[in-house]
Amino acid sequence: MTADQISSVARRPAGAARKTGRVRAADRPRTSMTARRHRAFYLFTSPWIIGFLLLTVVPMAYALWLSFTTYDGISPNWRYVGLGNYSELLTDSRTWDSLGRTGLFAATSVPLSIIAGLGLAVLVNRPIKARGLFRTLLYLPAVVPPVGVGLAFKALFDQNSGAANGVLTLFGFDALGWLADPYARYVLLMSVLWAAGNIMIISLAGLQDVPRELHEAARIDGASAWRTFRSVTVPLLSPVLLFQTVTGVIASVQTIMPLLLTPDGTTAGVTALPQSNYLYMMHVFGQYFALGRYGYASALLWVLFVLILIVTGLIFRFTSGVVFYNVDPEAKK
Amino acid sequence: MRPEDGAPVSRRRFLSLSAAGAATGAAALSGCALQVSTGVSGRGETVTVMAKPDDISPDLIRQAQKDIGVKIVTVRYDLTKLIGMMTNGNPPDLVRGVGAVDAPYFAARDVMENLDPYFARSSVLELDDLDPVNDLWRYDGRTQGKGPRYGMAKDFSQDSMFWYNTALFDQAGVDHPPELEPVTFEEWLETAKRLTRRKNGQTTVFGGSYNGVLTPNVLASLTAAAGGSLFNDDFSRIDFTTPEARKALAWYIEYGRTRVGPSIVQPDPNAWDGPTYQAGRMAMSGNGYWLGGLINADKKLAPVSRLAPAPVFQGGPRISPCQAGTGFWIPRTSRHKDAAWRVFEWFFGEAPAKGRASGGWGIPTLKSLRPLMPAQEDYQRRELTVQNAELKHFSVIAFTPYATADSLYALFNEIAPAAMNGRMSVDTLAGRLNATMNEQLKRGKEQVG
Repeated sequence: MTADQISSVARRPAGAARKTGRVRAADRPRTSMTARRHRAFYLFTSPWIIGFLLLTVVPMAYALWLSFTTYDGISPNWRYVGLGNYSELLTDSRTWDSLGRTGLFAATSVPLSIIAGLGLAVLVNRPIKARGLFRTLLYLPAVVPPVGVGLAFKALFDQNSGAANGVLTLFGFDALGWLADPYARYVLLMSVLWAAGNIMIISLAGLQDVPRELHEAARIDGASAWRTFRSVTVPLLSPVLLFQTVTGVIASVQTIMPLLLTPDGTTAGVTALPQSNYLYMMHVFGQYFALGRYGYASALLWVLFVLILIVTGLIFRFTSGVVFYNVDPEAKK
Repeated sequence: MRPEDGAPVSRRRFLSLSAAGAATGAAALSGCALQVSTGVSGRGETVTVMAKPDDISPDLIRQAQKDIGVKIVTVRYDLTKLIGMMTNGNPPDLVRGVGAVDAPYFAARDVMENLDPYFARSSVLELDDLDPVNDLWRYDGRTQGKGPRYGMAKDFSQDSMFWYNTALFDQAGVDHPPELEPVTFEEWLETAKRLTRRKNGQTTVFGGSYNGVLTPNVLASLTAAAGGSLFNDDFSRIDFTTPEARKALAWYIEYGRTRVGPSIVQPDPNAWDGPTYQAGRMAMSGNGYWLGGLINADKKLAPVSRLAPAPVFQGGPRISPCQAGTGFWIPRTSRHKDAAWRVFEWFFGEAPAKGRASGGWGIPTLKSLRPLMPAQEDYQRRELTVQNAELKHFSVIAFTPYATADSLYALFNEIAPAAMNGRMSVDTLAGRLNATMNEQLKRGKEQVG
């Protein structure tokens, strides 16, 4: 090939090169690299994508289909009811009561557990003796499976044989029915706080990312410890706190802890829960597994999913002005 | 080349048609043979059994392999999982069930195998030898207790009978109940109140527990004891406002309100009576003969424990039903029915059945195994006397096919605590139970068709 021929091939558009089946030597590795990158991307993400499709999208679509039926899993004559389950849901007082109770539970348990976790993180971030031991001990409860927590709490708070009432009666007080109304809600809150070690660990990582020189500067400027914490530490921790708030709200509306605290562990026992602990997921569980109303329960779940999306969106919307992302502004460009 | 119409069939074609016909015939015949094949061993096959851990131990699984050459794979019993497995066309081959409530529910939905042909040919499980309790597993499309057999109970008890601890009676200065004559439910409750001991807001001794196997069965049994029926004739409706059902409901609510024993408003942390009774913290336990398996294994507890007949209502009939009749059934779509039947025969009629009978955990469901019931000790002989006398009053209380017992129990749990806590009258409760339970039954009836 002469030099002219080479330059004429080089001037041809890429499409023309593809048509002729000839590609510039310089183009070949670049295209191949891009394709390889795409392949690698899909290869590495495919386990997640497949898992997401099979274990999330398909079940959600199936649940959506179920929510338009009276299907109970086994009876032969189920039928489509259109939006019937959704309209029934609007008039079901137990749905609204449990939803309200769940909102109240989230509004109480999320701030309490974040405050507790952050407080513990601040304590174990200080230069104290046996700091590692304290961190381990405080985190340990968080690794206990929820079923174990449920069993332990049931034993601790049993009215007739629990240690909690043992202490009360030792001091001359009457025993309380901890696992019944009106005390059951406090036991539920305690079970949530029991796992505050999770929040402690994440907050601790956030605290250790706060530049020391900012604290020193604040001290030199005469700021008190509280002022430093409020004006330096908390703003720098705000992304971590936002993350904990969002995940905490989602986890709290989906909690099944009340079920694990009920002494009657049967499926039908869910409706015997103390009213204060009859949260939305308990209602869903009861409709699914005790009453066999797969269609109606699926409608309840879809409504919960939409509500979670809305609440999460609102949290992001209202916190956008107060969350401080400590990133290099130039990096965005 | 395609033969022309009317042309004689060639020898090759005749042979191929004959071969096809023979193969089809053989397949059809072997299909018939496969449907009912007692005598076919199932040896070398694997049978999936959906059960609770207590139903079939690892030792029994090993023994099955040795005795009948069938490998048993267990799946933990879970209704949702069962539905999933059946929907996927891969059901377990044997499924645990509570005959009293599961048999009509599943049979009405046509998911159970009719076992009559198997029983007819079995030399292990002979129809004459079956105890009447196995009728709980019969359903004719309308009524429980009649029609084809869909399963069998592994053992049974007359669950309204009760055990009592004589030491706790003596400590409280309360007379023991008569040995063979029933007390009334009202007397039972009064006695429970006298036996209950409380201190600093804690119950140190429960006077008596009366929860039966499942609350809906308890309520159906109580209503029958008051001389009525909880369900209407076609089992499509429930009525707590009839005088008999109301009497039964009022008694059960009073039992919960007085807190003499575990209930939905005062649950037992052990979830059942056994450990509490064994610890000497329960004076009477409304469990039938089967609890003797636990009691008689405790050498301190056995001599102070007595079994008493099922209570009656003043003026009501004397009945003593079985509220459970737990056993196994074979799904209609099981792929290993023969092998499953072989395990069924072995489990209900051979070594495991003999082991259960001699262990005292319930009455054997084959009459021929009765002589194996434990009677070595004085207390065992005394219990056996009471139990044998009670058998005369055995009755089957049919349950609705239109709802699971769990669903009715869940609906009861929703409303009844208010009545047990004194915030709702029994009449209001009866009305509300009728409304919610009949709605559930209506949904079930629509779906069964």
